Amino acid sequence: MQLATDEYASVTAYDELLDQNLQPRPAARHLFDYLNSLTEQELTARRQAVDATIMAMGITFTIYSESGNIDRAWPFDPIPRVMARKEWERIQEGLKQRLTALNLFINDLYNEQRIIKDGVFPAEVLAGSGNFRPQCVGITPRFGVWAHICGTDLVRDRDGTVYVLEDNLRVPSGVSYMLENRQIMKRIFPEVFRTTNILPVDDYPTQLYQTLAALSPRPGTQPVIAVLTPGIYNSAYFEHSYLAQQMGAALVEGSDLIVGSDDVVYMKNISGLERVDVIYRRIDDNFLDPEVFNPDSQLGVRGLMRAWRNGKVGIANAPGAGVADDKVVYAFVPQMIRYYLDQDAILANVPSYLCMYDDQRDYVLANLDKLVVKPANESGGYGMIIGPRATPAERAEFAKLIRANPRNYMAQPTLDISTAPTLVDGKLAPRHLDLRPFVLQSDKLYATTGGLTRVALRKGSLVVNSSQGGGSKDTWIVEEGSN
Amino acid sequence: MLARAAENLYWMARYLERAENTARLINSTTHVLLDLPLGASFGWSNIVEIVGLDSLFQKNYPQADEQAIMRFLIEDADNPSSILSCVQYARENTRTLREILPAEMWERINSLFLYVRENAAIACRSRRDRYMVLNNIIEQRHAIVGLVSGTMAHDLAYQIIRLGRNIERADMTTRILDLNSAIQFPKDSIAQEALLERIWMSTLNSLSAYQTYRRLISMHVRRSEVIKFLIHDMRFPRSVDYCLSETESCLKLMPRSGQLQQITANLRLELSQRSTENLDVDGLHQYLDQLQVDLAVVQNALSQNYFHAYDHDENPDAKPKAESAH
Repeated sequence: MQLATDEYASVTAYDELLDQNLQPRPAARHLFDYLNSLTEQELTARRQAVDATIMAMGITFTIYSESGNIDRAWPFDPIPRVMARKEWERIQEGLKQRLTALNLFINDLYNEQRIIKDGVFPAEVLAGSGNFRPQCVGITPRFGVWAHICGTDLVRDRDGTVYVLEDNLRVPSGVSYMLENRQIMKRIFPEVFRTTNILPVDDYPTQLYQTLAALSPRPGTQPVIAVLTPGIYNSAYFEHSYLAQQMGAALVEGSDLIVGSDDVVYMKNISGLERVDVIYRRIDDNFLDPEVFNPDSQLGVRGLMRAWRNGKVGIANAPGAGVADDKVVYAFVPQMIRYYLDQDAILANVPSYLCMYDDQRDYVLANLDKLVVKPANESGGYGMIIGPRATPAERAEFAKLIRANPRNYMAQPTLDISTAPTLVDGKLAPRHLDLRPFVLQSDKLYATTGGLTRVALRKGSLVVNSSQGGGSKDTWIVEEGSN
Repeated sequence: MLARAAENLYWMARYLERAENTARLINSTTHVLLDLPLGASFGWSNIVEIVGLDSLFQKNYPQADEQAIMRFLIEDADNPSSILSCVQYARENTRTLREILPAEMWERINSLFLYVRENAAIACRSRRDRYMVLNNIIEQRHAIVGLVSGTMAHDLAYQIIRLGRNIERADMTTRILDLNSAIQFPKDSIAQEALLERIWMSTLNSLSAYQTYRRLISMHVRRSEVIKFLIHDMRFPRSVDYCLSETESCLKLMPRSGQLQQITANLRLELSQRSTENLDVDGLHQYLDQLQVDLAVVQNALSQNYFHAYDHDENPDAKPKAESAH
């Protein structure tokens, strides 16, 4: 096993597994002992075994392109990303703290709006929100929780600080790949699980089931849970079916459900209609119910909002939860934590400039070549600009967009996000990565052990999204000093 | 279980059975060919007629020779009943059924698909390669059936898989039986009788029935006995009546199945009264044609009752409500 030392020499970012002298960090020592015991041929053979396993397991995702939807094999790097348990536990606390505050915030927005009245959160941000649903005003879902499933993107900067990049509160995806990545690693590298104490990740489906079951309007009976998918052509369909399978839930499309005059949601079963208690929906608010939202939606269920409002069905995430999934709202999370919980944020936000404020916008426009600018309501890395890598013409074009709709943009300094050794042409080369843990909340709080590590497979690239050339790695939270 | 999922599951089972039986049909045809004397001819165009695909074939192929037929039946993606298409549809359906099926099921069917996709062209290259590839496909299919019966809960989903499998199987048995009508013998063939025996032996072989037939019926392979055996014998799991009795027993375990049980019972009763004795070549062909029509009636009733019960009525309050969960 060889390091691509020339590539490492030219990289300034923090490396997750190697220190400045290219020696393994303590948590990664066992892994490197193991990797060093493998010849290049052995490693190549394992690499091929990984590809064959992914083909056989049929782990795919769909890319939308002009030539139609293509099912691609999941790009996976066999070198895991390793983190010490002690560090992870602090991050876990930070994630739970953050989601707790976000849910208090969403419930406040749809009810008393104390945080606005107290001058902590500006009314104009809410006014410009694309994801605030007036149809949800006055509702308090069970436990006051709106976002039951949250995928939070974390990155590490050059000095080792872990930052929250964004909170995905609408229909975050990726957790099935986190689970499958571990399965692949166990099949291909079973030996290393003996020498390293790697914490398991596979309790997520059970935790998700319990989180959803707690939302059932018929407590005391075994709830009927359905995963609502837009269908086989959705890029995350694999995950929808995977999670339904893991939880023993039904995988339904909108046309499989019907709402009766009793406001109860039923599944169209071969034995007759069967009541559904909880819906884990993986379609956007706008398509949920043509009676209330987009009237042309073929994906949703007529009357679903009625059923939810009247407490006849639980929906996760609750309609309207996306109001906090907004990159401008993001900038206020540290204030929310202080306001609702009277605590300091455990996890840091990336310093952010909001273009809605004149002085901050002027700064952004003057420093476009140093900043990353993101639209408030996009996900998947679309519609953003990485200033240092853009041409002057692209920057000028983007400045126009910002001036036309300042509320829709926020900017952050470009972070030198961390790398980890990644298998490239038989050598370990540094590639940039992030981490998406998943956090659950209903009657209890839970955060995954680690999460989904996404890695930019192209040299120097910072874009980790699978739709744009990203891959993933298994994420190990290890007990340090274990053997 | 969702009506939509039930339909996907039913067709998944039918497609897999069809892929296996098409492989059997091809192997048996090849056997028959090897046994033909000089001067006898095999009507290649009849084989696509037997599987009901003659017009599609004629549209896309100028000539009905062995190579064209094999490409059409094995690897042609435009033929919805080619082995490749069947396995691909089964895989696509399985993708929507992963929460219902055992976890290994997806991997098995996915592997079968990858195998067929890689080897379909090889199978079309020569008779020897063909035999090997088709046998591998049959073996992998058996592993899937074993997985289903050995690891899957014997619940509604399981009954639907059995239904699809048995209805397709009954249909294919009638078609494989029909194959022999595709052979024209030279009128003055002296060895005709011995030849006929060998041809019916091949038919039995293609259904893995030869050994059973010899043990249960006779050492001599007689046409009328073989036909009776493959249609009426309740001890052989690919006979038409056996498949129908399986269908009946599935239906007894299904909800809202009274009318369907009646239809199947009537068909079995009628079948027991339709003798296969003294059928000439044309008579047999008509007999089997009628049987295929009867099977289609069962299929349509199933589809109406379970898969499309909600198609025309959007008033949920008029629908039956299930008593309890699952």
